[in-house]
Amino acid sequence: MPVIAFILLGSVVLLPVVALWALRWAAAAGQFRCPDKAALLPFDESEPVGVETDCILGGNRR
Amino acid sequence: MSYGPLLFLGILLTLASSWVGLVLMPHRQLGALGQHTDADTAAVHPSARAGDAQQGADHYRSLGCVYCHTQQVRPEGYGSDLERGWGRRRTVSRDYIHDKTVMLGTMRTGPDLSNIGERQSDAAWHYRHLYNPQITSPGSIMPPHAFLFETRAIGAAGRSTNALVIEGAFAPPAGHEVVPTRRAEQLVAYLRSLKSSGDLPEAPVKKEEAAK
Amino acid sequence: MIQQSQTLRALLPGDAGAEGAQKTALAEIDASCRVPVLFFFISGLAWLLAGTVLALVASIKLHTPGFLAGWEWLTFSNVRTAHLNTVIYGFASQISVGVSIWLMCRLCRIPLPAPGLVTVANLFYNLGVTVGVGGILLGDSTAIEWLEMPRYATPILFFSYALIAVWTIVTFRLRAERHLYVSQWYLLAAVLWFPWLYGTAQVMLLIEPVRGVVQAAVNWWFAHNVLGLWFTPIGLASIYYFIPKVIGRPIHSYYLSVLGFWSLALFYNWNGMHHLVGGPLPAWMITISIVASVMMLIPVITVAINHHFTMVGHFGKMRHSPTLRFIVFGAFSYTLASLQGVASALRSVSEVTHFTHHTVAHAHLGMYAFFTMVMFGAMYYILPRITQREWPSNGLISLHFWGVALGIILYVVPMSLMGFIQGTKLNDPTIRFLDVVQFTLPWLKLRTLAGLLLAAGHAAFVVNVGWLLVRMFEPYRKPVVRILTGEAETLAAGKQP
Repeated sequence: MPVIAFILLGSVVLLPVVALWALRWAAAAGQFRCPDKAALLPFDESEPVGVETDCILGGNRR
Repeated sequence: MSYGPLLFLGILLTLASSWVGLVLMPHRQLGALGQHTDADTAAVHPSARAGDAQQGADHYRSLGCVYCHTQQVRPEGYGSDLERGWGRRRTVSRDYIHDKTVMLGTMRTGPDLSNIGERQSDAAWHYRHLYNPQITSPGSIMPPHAFLFETRAIGAAGRSTNALVIEGAFAPPAGHEVVPTRRAEQLVAYLRSLKSSGDLPEAPVKKEEAAK
Repeated sequence: MIQQSQTLRALLPGDAGAEGAQKTALAEIDASCRVPVLFFFISGLAWLLAGTVLALVASIKLHTPGFLAGWEWLTFSNVRTAHLNTVIYGFASQISVGVSIWLMCRLCRIPLPAPGLVTVANLFYNLGVTVGVGGILLGDSTAIEWLEMPRYATPILFFSYALIAVWTIVTFRLRAERHLYVSQWYLLAAVLWFPWLYGTAQVMLLIEPVRGVVQAAVNWWFAHNVLGLWFTPIGLASIYYFIPKVIGRPIHSYYLSVLGFWSLALFYNWNGMHHLVGGPLPAWMITISIVASVMMLIPVITVAINHHFTMVGHFGKMRHSPTLRFIVFGAFSYTLASLQGVASALRSVSEVTHFTHHTVAHAHLGMYAFFTMVMFGAMYYILPRITQREWPSNGLISLHFWGVALGIILYVVPMSLMGFIQGTKLNDPTIRFLDVVQFTLPWLKLRTLAGLLLAAGHAAFVVNVGWLLVRMFEPYRKPVVRILTGEAETLAAGKQP
């Protein structure tokens, strides 16, 4: 019984603490600024916006 | 987006709360449930399981009966559990306090078993049904559990007292008998112990039902 | 786990890693991921094959109970349970880890760090699944759904998941790209949520079991969150990356994607008790779960809008990209599965569908039509890039796609319908129980047929993957149709970029 109580109470405290730390970090690291710039993260100079990257079927030859 | 962090703060705090709500609180609320003693009859419900039946519960778990059978009777007016005769009242939390592994089940490929001990108390029926469900329930898709039995030659002393009585297509070869193993005996003891119709303050049995 | 993090933190540079670190070329990142990701993909696919066979056996047993009925270890319960654990833990989770690792490296813009950690995690993982599934077949199943592996197997898996969580944090700390993409939010959340879920469930159900129906509460809080906090985030993270990547356009609304993430995190984990509607638990718990299930409409519709408007005008590209086909199929199925789930949680619907094959169909709509299809799509993108070889057979790709697409539709649609009718009949006490069973039989046979189509698709894929791996040991041959960029091609040919 004490084992469970330890785990339960420990988790109840630990989870919000971790969550708040993550939130504080995110705000401090500027994660909430420039949301539109974030949408471009999958792209770079070698695979920029506007270029398809997986044409391998349907006889599309390059 | 300056309100963003405030919004996220609220959401983050609520994240951990589901665990408090769905795990911790029920544990506190239900963990202290005990047996109920009927004021008139002094009957105790639920009664603890005798040794064989307790062993049988473990076989029920190991054989995976829970994947086709439920052990929960839904309330009156919700589904037709009561009308099908699966119980005289719905099952409640108190009914499960003695179960080492609570096996409510989520599929009714076969019928609900909460009250099978009341509905079918004949051990011989259970043995025949487990040996090959087609014997008692033609058209059933429950698999045969012949491995819970021993088919052996009838000894010099004659048929064993606990040999199954099987006629026709499923009968053992001439001169042989089918006898339950210890495991089968314990499993059937468990099945016959499944009764959840005791009158409880949170789930009373209706008078017409109790009179049956 | 906390110990390890502190030691690593001392060794690693601070967040300033983002400032000075050079962003690595994509091809180099892919090459660094090769061995660890391949370990997870290959072992995952091996378990997929095993799980497919088990699925077929289970399906046949349900309409033909005499099939393979002589062996105790092969009862329907054992085979069904082995199937579930094999495909959930052996296949789906391992592919998840492989995809997650690759996505993290790509989005953090660094070559894969600490490959040893990943390899050890993989070895322990496969050991755990082997011991677990073996234990189930030997009769040691716990009979707790989604947590059937015996006590002696689950800690092995927990250790593995913990290692992956540590690795993900390490990669995050070492990242060269400072900003986080929405996929990284989902992945970080998933790899941290799951070990906690798994550990808690193990303690409260296996090691120090709680008493009475609280077991059922913990069981379904755990099992539903495996879907919502482990598989769904990984699936969504993949969709958010691969759709923009393949079509070459960014996601329609980044704000919507972040809103979708947080509303999922908020509502999903309260859903668990909707598996117990009408059951012997306090009504308030069930009601909260039903409400939370309906609230799921917010993230689901948000995500659906975002995916749809990103794809609009580009659906034609599905012709050219197998990844896009599978991912879009999966994304669409996510919306469908979620809507079906919301409906099933309502008391009036649950009264009919609870305890029927409708639930089984729903589970496969979510885990297969959504999650597995997305994982197939991810593998079609990742495998050529980490092996730096082209897919050997486009014919096998088509066979795979059409086999599984038709197979899963043939599974889910009839079974959902049948389950609803089955439930209606069960709620009519004048209909004999055995007559309801007889009614389900032809539909169950149809499901076996669907299973054969799925199996054919899996076979086609595994053959293609095997062939691709063989090609890895041959020198790179420039084909007529190519997907690798100039850099990757040069690397593959053994020259310096």
